[in-house]
Amino acid sequence: MNTDLNPDFTLDLRGESCPYPVIYTLEALEGMNKGELLQVITDCPGSFRNVPEEATAHGYRFACDPVKNGQEFLFYIYA
Amino acid sequence: MKSAFRFLFQQYWNPYLVLALAGVLSALYFALTHTVWAVTGEFTRLGGDLLLLLGVDVTGWQYFQLVKLQDATWSRSDGWIVWGMFIGALIMVLLSNSFKIRLPQQRRRYVQGFVGGIIAGFGARMALGCNLAAFFTGVPQFSLHSWIFIVATGIGTFWGAKLTRQRWWKGRPSLMAGAARPSKVKNRVVQPWVGGALAIAWLLLVAGLFAAGYRMLALGALFGLAFGVLIERGQICFTSAFRDLFLVGRSLMARAIIIGMAISSVATLLAIYAYDLTPVTQVAAPSTLVGGILFGLGIVMASGCETGMMYRLMEGQVLFLPVFVGNIIGATLLAYAWDHLGVYGMLVEPGAKVSLLELAGPVGALIATLVMLGTLYALTLHTEKRYHRNFALKRTA
Repeated sequence: MNTDLNPDFTLDLRGESCPYPVIYTLEALEGMNKGELLQVITDCPGSFRNVPEEATAHGYRFACDPVKNGQEFLFYIYA
Repeated sequence: MKSAFRFLFQQYWNPYLVLALAGVLSALYFALTHTVWAVTGEFTRLGGDLLLLLGVDVTGWQYFQLVKLQDATWSRSDGWIVWGMFIGALIMVLLSNSFKIRLPQQRRRYVQGFVGGIIAGFGARMALGCNLAAFFTGVPQFSLHSWIFIVATGIGTFWGAKLTRQRWWKGRPSLMAGAARPSKVKNRVVQPWVGGALAIAWLLLVAGLFAAGYRMLALGALFGLAFGVLIERGQICFTSAFRDLFLVGRSLMARAIIIGMAISSVATLLAIYAYDLTPVTQVAAPSTLVGGILFGLGIVMASGCETGMMYRLMEGQVLFLPVFVGNIIGATLLAYAWDHLGVYGMLVEPGAKVSLLELAGPVGALIATLVMLGTLYALTLHTEKRYHRNFALKRTA
């Protein structure tokens, strides 16, 4: 499950419940420079769907498919 | 077999499908028991049970007479619905191997959850139902109070979403430079076995209740199980339906709920005429509006309503423990305020039970309901579009 990506920043959201994962993710992306890579680690089941869907809807691109790691998900998103 | 298991438990189900199923099942539950799928009434009774246990004599409280506080939770079909929903959600969580104790990093969430839970419980009971009896199963009963409640919930969640955006409320996340290590994954998988055993045990219990002649309780336990399965697998969150529309322009859940209600309205109408049933009509009064606004605000503060809280707690999201306790405290406070603090006389007495079926007949009531839901749908799409238009402007600016 290891990816060869080198994220510039990481948002560790383990434990946080919805809607905060999606709010935090969008905020972090907004604050980063274009082209930088963000890694998101989240374990709120609602966020498995709303984080990738909303990041896409807000115009951000994924570096790879979401990675399922046990009870959590990892997302790699370009700002 | 293996691929079917994967299909059912490795991914969440389509919310449209889940809510359509929930809509049909709730109509069927009404046809079989003449009561609606609801949870907060039982929360109030649980509060009453606790007070009785502590030696407080609540038998004279009007609200407990209204919601028929009798016997214990296991001799009430509404009680079996609630416990069935918890168990159904837990079974799904375990079968999909997704249970995990999740502790919020932001400590303030516990306080927010507790306070929000109290406000949501208080508001829901003031309006005589939460997102179920005054919303998802209220509209299909053609009870006008649910129309008021929907508008009120919209107003409350709008304010709630504004609050959520405040820096002091949402807190600052821990953005770190570089990569972080993901958690280690356990190789031994035990959760699905526990889930399977729990499912068999609960179904045996349902069969036992039927065999012993407790038909209503058995139906409560069975439908509760089904509703629990559905809300967990579909991640059905009424709170997010409104809130995320305002917050991030997300409309999926709102659209699915509206379509589910439309299907349920047709199915319920058929049941009413096929079996000659009396629809459940609740009083429409100022209390519906005030209660709905409080409910909407409370569920956003708590990050979950009385239904969404149930499956999230079963997933191991510890935040929802104070929310659950808050819900019961809020409902009980309302039961006290009802006659002791004059809520009834001030906000409920001026109202009346208004049934659209009596007002407009079956065809008129159905058309009116579908037009109202269609308008809601259009408003949802409009709000989503407006959000994204503003967002695009902000990005290019």
